[in-house]
Amino acid sequence: MLEVKDATIAVGGQILATGLSFMARDGQLTCITGPEGSGKTTLLRTLMGFLPVSSGFVSVDGELLTVKSSQAFRKLMIYLPQQIQLLRHQLKAPEAPVCEADDYGVWNDLLPKPIQAIRPVPLSPEEIYLFAEQTLQAAKDKQMIIADEPAAQLTPELAERMLQLLRSQVVAGKTVLIASRRPMLVDDADLIINMNQNL
Amino acid sequence: MTMVLHIILALLSLLIPVGALYLFDRSLLRTFGVAVGRMVVQLLVLCLIVWALVKYDKIWLSLLWLVLLAVVSGVLALRRINLPIVKFLLPVSAGLFVSALLIGAYLLLACLPAENGFGARWFVPVMALLVGQNMTTLIRGLSTYQSALKADELQNEFLRGNGTDHLHAVLPFVRRAMQQVFAPTAANLSVMGLYAMPLLLCGILIAGIAPINAFVVTLQLVFGCLASSVIALAVTLWLADCHLFDKYGKLQ
Repeated sequence: MLEVKDATIAVGGQILATGLSFMARDGQLTCITGPEGSGKTTLLRTLMGFLPVSSGFVSVDGELLTVKSSQAFRKLMIYLPQQIQLLRHQLKAPEAPVCEADDYGVWNDLLPKPIQAIRPVPLSPEEIYLFAEQTLQAAKDKQMIIADEPAAQLTPELAERMLQLLRSQVVAGKTVLIASRRPMLVDDADLIINMNQNL
Repeated sequence: MTMVLHIILALLSLLIPVGALYLFDRSLLRTFGVAVGRMVVQLLVLCLIVWALVKYDKIWLSLLWLVLLAVVSGVLALRRINLPIVKFLLPVSAGLFVSALLIGAYLLLACLPAENGFGARWFVPVMALLVGQNMTTLIRGLSTYQSALKADELQNEFLRGNGTDHLHAVLPFVRRAMQQVFAPTAANLSVMGLYAMPLLLCGILIAGIAPINAFVVTLQLVFGCLASSVIALAVTLWLADCHLFDKYGKLQ
């Protein structure tokens, strides 16, 4: 169970939510919603301890979550980020580069050029779904799932399957916390937190 | 006197390229002259420094020179990578210094046929070779690490978000940096000496060492370069960590 009490969420000096209080319970699908830029992702990042709350507190199973203690709490969490399509290198590590002999060597006095890594090729909707499914299956013992816009990159059919996947986690008694603007997901949530109403 | 005569005789050989340029492209004559002049001055300054180090032959002086070499090489590497010198000079210079000193000391005391391992005659060339090679590997390794973290920042966040500690969350990026360090080195080692004799081997042969001994010394130095490049990258990445990530673990 994750509890937020009288929290003020701010990023870069801009207050996104004040007096925010809710409880994401085990066996419940909690959905944070609101328009783009309303702070849904920032709130999720705060709940994971990536950012501090400006005031108020966040606790997990009654234990206070701080930036310092958050790493221990994140061991209990499964996190599916918003831009999950960019995680190709998590699925498969990039290959070693093919080099010519004169690129660099112990005989070569020339300074090499710096390397610029390129962004990964985005995953397809099918790959995204499979990746999310694998991530959830690989961490069956974890009690909390945090998914940021889990259906944003998916086709309507896959979004439906993603909802079923999340529902199966709820049925298993886990705390499922998502951020989404997609009506299909919002309507299906047990608890809806509207970021627009917390300013 | 004989040395001056020999230099003049060597300079005479420059008449051939100068003549060729005079015939085919006179506009390059000035550029060529400036380049030769700069090379002569740089070589002279370098040799004067080495001469002083060998003449006084004090360990503290050699170590001081190694520190300065690591700092200058660090500045060159950072300018090449385009990273802020103020932030990263200490990690890069420390990486270069520590790796050269560790592996260099091992080579000098345990492997190379040096009578006085820390005598300047052996210490200076071995350390210079190690620092020089490590600088090139650091340019590839550090630039890969930093740019891969930027390009795949989400992967780092995903790993941390799923409970991985900081060290394990940066390992995929360390792996990519190591790949970029080793892939070209492996490609180069596999063909070395087939189409051109390595300069290092040439230098050792000119110094009067027998070919079989030159082979052994070259091999030891090459292995030393490979080993110290790994240490240089590891030490640099470890020390640079606090400048790459903020207190929340986010890439700066």
